[in-house]
Amino acid sequence: MSARLPGLRSLRLALGAVCERSGAPGAELYVKVGNTHRIEIDPWMTPVTANPHDLQAQVSVLDERGWALRAGGANRALFLADSGPLPEPNGWRRLNRHSLRPGTLRLPSPSPDTTPGTAPSPAADAPEHPPDDEETAGLTFLHDLLRGLGERMPEARLVRGRLDSGASAAVLASTTGVTARSARRLATVELDFAASRDGRHGHCRLYRAASNIHLLSAGAIASEITERLTVATAPPPPFLPAGEVVVSPALGCNLLALLAPVLRGRDGWPRLRKLGDGHPLGPPQLQIVDDGALDGGWMSSAFDDEGVPTRAVALVRDGEPGEPLLSWEDDGWSGFAAAGCRRRSGWRALPELCHSHLYIAGGSEPAESIRSGIVHGCYLLDRAHDGRCHATFERSPTGGAGLLEEGHFEVDAIGLVIRRGTVLGEAPKVRLTGSVRQLLQGIRAIGDDLRFLPAPGAVGAPTLLLTGLQVEAVG
Amino acid sequence: MRSNANRAEPRPLLTSDVAAPAGALSRLAADGDQQFEAFFERLETVELLPPGAPNRIRLRREQGLGVRKIENGRSRLAAADVISGPAFAACCDRVAESARSIGSAPPRIRTGTWPALRLAELEQAESRLTRAVHRRRVGFPMEITARRHRRQVQVIRGPIAAPPQFEEYFSLQVTTPWGVWGGLLPSLADEDLDPVALRLVDRLRSRGLPPHQHAPGVIVLGPNAAAVLLHEVVAHALEADTLGLSGAPDQAVGLKLGGPELDVVDDPRSAPLNCKRSSDDEGTAVISRWLLRRGRVRQPLADLAWAERCPSMVPGAARRASRHRLPGPRTTHLELLPGPIPESELFAEAVGGHYIGEFDRGNLDPLDGRCVLRAPCGRRIGASGPVDHTGPIEIRSRAVDLLAAVTAVADRPLAGGAGWCAKDGALMPVWARCPSIRLEGLRVAD
Repeated sequence: MSARLPGLRSLRLALGAVCERSGAPGAELYVKVGNTHRIEIDPWMTPVTANPHDLQAQVSVLDERGWALRAGGANRALFLADSGPLPEPNGWRRLNRHSLRPGTLRLPSPSPDTTPGTAPSPAADAPEHPPDDEETAGLTFLHDLLRGLGERMPEARLVRGRLDSGASAAVLASTTGVTARSARRLATVELDFAASRDGRHGHCRLYRAASNIHLLSAGAIASEITERLTVATAPPPPFLPAGEVVVSPALGCNLLALLAPVLRGRDGWPRLRKLGDGHPLGPPQLQIVDDGALDGGWMSSAFDDEGVPTRAVALVRDGEPGEPLLSWEDDGWSGFAAAGCRRRSGWRALPELCHSHLYIAGGSEPAESIRSGIVHGCYLLDRAHDGRCHATFERSPTGGAGLLEEGHFEVDAIGLVIRRGTVLGEAPKVRLTGSVRQLLQGIRAIGDDLRFLPAPGAVGAPTLLLTGLQVEAVG
Repeated sequence: MRSNANRAEPRPLLTSDVAAPAGALSRLAADGDQQFEAFFERLETVELLPPGAPNRIRLRREQGLGVRKIENGRSRLAAADVISGPAFAACCDRVAESARSIGSAPPRIRTGTWPALRLAELEQAESRLTRAVHRRRVGFPMEITARRHRRQVQVIRGPIAAPPQFEEYFSLQVTTPWGVWGGLLPSLADEDLDPVALRLVDRLRSRGLPPHQHAPGVIVLGPNAAAVLLHEVVAHALEADTLGLSGAPDQAVGLKLGGPELDVVDDPRSAPLNCKRSSDDEGTAVISRWLLRRGRVRQPLADLAWAERCPSMVPGAARRASRHRLPGPRTTHLELLPGPIPESELFAEAVGGHYIGEFDRGNLDPLDGRCVLRAPCGRRIGASGPVDHTGPIEIRSRAVDLLAAVTAVADRPLAGGAGWCAKDGALMPVWARCPSIRLEGLRVAD
């Protein structure tokens, strides 16, 4: 990390100066530094040569540094964010009693059963690589990926490729006594490919993440792209079997992400309970968890971005509603305890209630046996990037027809038609639809291959066997 | 009440002599193939949320710099969230890949003061918009979030410093019981808030109406809707990086995309009020660029990198979302030149068709040229013009079919259709000035 975080003493001095000048009864300071190595490849410059350093790429080395102040009380408040280093205690001269405007500010108090301190994520504990190594590793990864894809599928054409690899660290302190530090490392790759075969065009978009660039496998991603482009450019099947649908972890993550609104906060809880309509939400082996401190997770941290301790929250336990994901402000609501779940998308943003690692816990059944056990149905690989992917939980805001309170979803996907373990053909675009209740209650098997994808945050799912949903060919 | 946005510009972003960093950059270029560019940026967003919201006032300020090396079409960018001599020197070292690349002493770089905060116009936005709605004899609950955006940019390329640029504009988000309206405004003056009130009232009157299942045979698009259509199917389609996906961008020059009534220009110099630009985000002077001349492609949007790759292209359309992003060719202010037909005649030949005042969403697939435009509401056209309100309409068509369907352009252009362009996830404000247009025989894609 090229920029250093200020110490807690500096933050406390600054908080004192802010409160003295503005008259605010409470204040909180959040400081974040980070650096990112970004490598972009556009289709104009994709020639792959023997040397990764000859790869035609745009390289960016970005240093980011900023802070955010929340100050105020019951009647007046202010949010101020700025780039650069935290001002010295005498650098807050512009603040005065008129800086606070009508509004409210509440800040969390220190949790009695935790000690404040440094809480780096497991990923951040990994040794930091020098910037040159990071760039070399990134170029090598992209070079290997493009070369591997060229060998597997020469007709594949890059539309856009971007690799981000970086680290960040943050420190937080408030006048209520909350302090926290966190650190994180993350590498993400966004790839967009197209291909044409026999006059049929197909696209494939992948977004993958790992806690460092050395954990991204070029070969595995090249295989995924090849598989998706092969299906996307295949002729549509003459018919689609209605019955069993097996969804891959990639599509499972998309389906789970659609459910996020009913899986968080006080608003989501009654809707989640209503989904069951007197019956279990899903099979007894269904567990849906959000865990801000997940071992080895990309977002893992002992504290959230307000300094509240994180923990695993079982949103759905044994197929029944477990407990809601509540922020500290709702602690004790309906007898449930809060968890650290308010996160900032960057130093410019206010903390908001959101998931960190939201996932369907893996089951005991091998994923391969679920796939090979399809009697006559579809194995859906991923969502079709140019298709639909949405869920509706409310009545139409325009008052349109349809009672949608139980939730309804539509996802366009690519996949394979399978009969007794044999692939009968490809399905370049199918639409999977149903109610959210059908989706959860129709889960018949949960695989053992839990996998996380960036969503934002991290969303994870294993292979799932679903029944009772509608599948139709599109296009 | 007049806008108070059109006022003298603030102090320049850099108050120290720009010759010092310009000299340092010119010393960096080891050979003629290398160009070095410094981009200094300052952003401010003041946000006022509805009463009762926590942290109702939110002020975000940031400044920083980026240094870029361009060599044989490849860029290397280093950016920092600080404007100072040492930060500039560190970025130069990173792009030059050598220590002390500009010498042992970093140049002296100082910044001016931030402009005054001026909250009054944001605080008055709610009451003025409410009055504008009430003037239409309706009233409904609204929650209004008002934002003022300011951006100062200074670009130095090699030994030459471009003129400093300053932009100031506003955005509004209005939440009503039947949905959310959002858009950009050059000011919060009554003349800019009045059209917003009209759109809110249109949405009120069309609430609960079922969506259209089929695209109508004849459609008249108001200036706002025409601007969104042209943004998607002309501006995006003629950005050099979009054209580059399907071949050499300069091969598009001369292609016939529409009828002779279509004259489309991109001219950042004629953007409204404080959004005018004299140079782009690479420091190149902007030009009035004919995108379509009598329906044929004349000059696609290009930045320096694309102009280097395709010598017939003219740079000057580079925009960057921030110092942390590389520039790319983008539209700034799109104009459709007026036709000869009075607006009343446009409607007279469209009786039975539909009038669409605004699209709230538009998207162009750059690979297959399919375009999706969504209007939250519309109106049926009767003998006297737009009459009954109708529900949402979604138009899915190929870009070329949409342009081929334009049969008439009205004679009265209006500023409108401003919005956020989110291509590649980089949010940028875009402006437009268009007359109403009529589309006939539109072929709708599946």
